[in-house]
Amino acid sequence: MSTGADLRHEADAARRIVLEAALASGSCHIGSSLSIVDILTVLYQRALRAGAGDRFLLSKGHAASALYAVLARTGVLDEAEVIAGYCRDGGTYAGHPERHVPGVELTAGSLGHGVAVALGRALADRTDGRDARTYCLVGDGELDEGSVWEAVALAGHLAPPGLRLIVDANGFQGLGRVGEVLSLEPLGEKFRAFGWIVSEVDGHSHAALECALGAPARRPVAIVARTVKGFGVPALEGEFMSHYRSFRPHERDILFAGLDGLAEAA
Amino acid sequence: MRDAFFRALAGLGAADERVWALTGDLGLGLFEPFEAVAPGRYLNVGIAEQTLVGVAAGLAYAGKVPFAYSIAPFVTSRAHDQVRVDVACAGANVKLVGVGSGVSYGTLGPTHHAIDDIALTRVLPGMTVLAPGDPAEAERAARAAYAHEGPVYLRLGKNGEPALLPEAAGFRIGRAVELRDGGDVTIASTGTALREATAAADLLAGEGIDATLLHFGTVKPFDADALIAAAARTGAVVTVEEHSVVGGFGSAAAEVLAESGVGALLRRIGLPDTFAHAVGSRDYLVDRYGLAGPAVADAARGLLERSPTWQTT
Repeated sequence: MSTGADLRHEADAARRIVLEAALASGSCHIGSSLSIVDILTVLYQRALRAGAGDRFLLSKGHAASALYAVLARTGVLDEAEVIAGYCRDGGTYAGHPERHVPGVELTAGSLGHGVAVALGRALADRTDGRDARTYCLVGDGELDEGSVWEAVALAGHLAPPGLRLIVDANGFQGLGRVGEVLSLEPLGEKFRAFGWIVSEVDGHSHAALECALGAPARRPVAIVARTVKGFGVPALEGEFMSHYRSFRPHERDILFAGLDGLAEAA
Repeated sequence: MRDAFFRALAGLGAADERVWALTGDLGLGLFEPFEAVAPGRYLNVGIAEQTLVGVAAGLAYAGKVPFAYSIAPFVTSRAHDQVRVDVACAGANVKLVGVGSGVSYGTLGPTHHAIDDIALTRVLPGMTVLAPGDPAEAERAARAAYAHEGPVYLRLGKNGEPALLPEAAGFRIGRAVELRDGGDVTIASTGTALREATAAADLLAGEGIDATLLHFGTVKPFDADALIAAAARTGAVVTVEEHSVVGGFGSAAAEVLAESGVGALLRRIGLPDTFAHAVGSRDYLVDRYGLAGPAVADAARGLLERSPTWQTT
């Protein structure tokens, strides 16, 4: 079993892959990926039980680079190939993930699809008597999609025990702050009203994430993870434009300055 | 046709534990035989077509063979993004089943008419589009959909369609059936329009005009060879479909013929780029919008009059 320091090291390494890939490709959505690196690191390093058949579906597909990075850290993908092949002509790793890529369980990019698909997987597990968990991550902006709530309602009603929904609540969406565009707070209350178990955690606290992601439950659980968009890069943290901004090689120091600080703090 | 499909579905559910039946809260009394033989594998998701298709995709990713059932426009148009991404783009082994092809919901109006479902599904890469012509073929098509690994859209009529196809016709995905082999004109139809195509061929035969009658139980992959051979032989093709003339079966035929170099005359019969706003039964609307047998026969005669090789006697 790895230690807390190991987790910090893993998350830091995954962030570096996200940033290297962003820098090499000049692509956007950096902030969206950085807000979920800690979540995915804890999920893949601690929560997913390979022997039980647990799986993860990334519904907010624009954070694909975080998924590729964590898959590289767990040995499913090759780190150098991810950096060289992300959002590049002739590359392997598109800006939104597709199921034909090893380790990718959901073709995503059009928002609001993941919960229903995850529900289908969880229902298959229950019918087959498998004790597997299906984790699905959505963005808080993605919750605007009506299809999310169709599936949330049905999941609460059918209550398959293996379904886990993680909300990356970074507080931003396409054209502004979630609270200004379409506030859905209090989020936890909404999921409870649909019959879900709810936990709210600091989405960058590894200990809190490990506890919330691994907690046993006999019905669907929504984990509302409060995160910082662009986490780890001071120039992007909590910045609306971290969704759109891209960087050139000469701006490398701007991207990596914060990471070196994180590593020293650890 | 609908009842025939559900017979096939129950048989598949009894034979294979991977088969699931999902509905978007439609099909009163129709799923009971399936439930009886496949306990725990029937699911009504409620009035939620996006969830219907998304859950079906999730089941397919888990190795199941889900049939997702609704009225045709709801499963193809209302949930189209889920069909496009979760099913087609992901290559999921989901069988979408749309009941009420064309104007078969008659008086219920344009929201319930399926005039664009062929266009919406055949445009998707990897999608197989089946449109059986009579109840027995609906059963065969359901079994073929099950046996085919990959996304399928199965387009059904409602009930009461006459038996038009010989049992020996069998069903092979991608293969049209030649029901008559006349040399004067080709009438090619898909799905429930087989009724009108057959009536037109009968009318023409009474006038001494021999039609080749081709039934396409599959729209995609399109049996280009069968159409091109018939077009080369007859020089004139009329397509008939209970669907808009834009983007559907006739469009698929036009694409094939235009690129074939055969040079045959073509006339597409279907809803003429309009919703069926008129109120009436299926047969009334088919007649009102120019799809009935006599109108198809008229279209065939019109092509023959334009044909340089056709000799009127």
